[in-house]
Amino acid sequence: MGDDPKGPGVPRWRDDFPVRWDADHYMTRRELAKFLTLGSALLVAASGAVAIAGRVAKPEAFAPQPIADAETLTPGASLLFRYPTDDDPCILVCLPDGTLKAYSQVCTHLSCAVRHDPGSDSLVCPCHRGVFAAADGRPTAGPPTRPLPRIALARRDDQVYAVGVEV
Amino acid sequence: METRQQGTVLFSGILVLIGTLVVIQLWLLTAGVEGLLAHARDVLLPAAVASLVLFLVNAGLLWYVTAFDARVRDGGTRS
Repeated sequence: MGDDPKGPGVPRWRDDFPVRWDADHYMTRRELAKFLTLGSALLVAASGAVAIAGRVAKPEAFAPQPIADAETLTPGASLLFRYPTDDDPCILVCLPDGTLKAYSQVCTHLSCAVRHDPGSDSLVCPCHRGVFAAADGRPTAGPPTRPLPRIALARRDDQVYAVGVEV
Repeated sequence: METRQQGTVLFSGILVLIGTLVVIQLWLLTAGVEGLLAHARDVLLPAAVASLVLFLVNAGLLWYVTAFDARVRDGGTRS
């Protein structure tokens, strides 16, 4: 290990390791700050894309589907059906005042199937004891925080039709 | 006159701040995607605007430390 001919007292290994260790930390932190700011810009772009997607997306339209004969539904009764596809289980309930309501049967917590409890006039998820009001589908107890998607109904000639999904 | 020691401490603090803001942006993006899937579209624009504000803060912090670094170098206080 001899001295560097470029200057007195400077060892030769300095040519291979020109950056002091404290300066090396300094450089790394500066590059990390730039990297994080670049990531921040990408996250802005992603959030903007999500906002634009929400603006341009149109609600899906589904064909009406007959699901029950209105005269067979008595207060407290419930009926399972599938709408708008065979992969979408739903439940129709007849409230004590005779009003018909329909919801997706998929719990908004962890996707278990909810059941109608006529005694409490609610929809109950047996997996984690989530409870939804049968009148409007909003969560009233347990872990679910979002209401059940509503199925829009229409009556034509004493026949009950599912005509749309309201999320 | 700023020194490299000051710059190192400054970088550490600002890096923590930038990292925290990026994590908040990640949370905003997650909330936006969940809102999009749940058809809760009223949350999408505020989430995007908030994310943009956080990015501007991040860019300002980066510009500040870069300018600080340039002042340190110009001041000839490097060891």
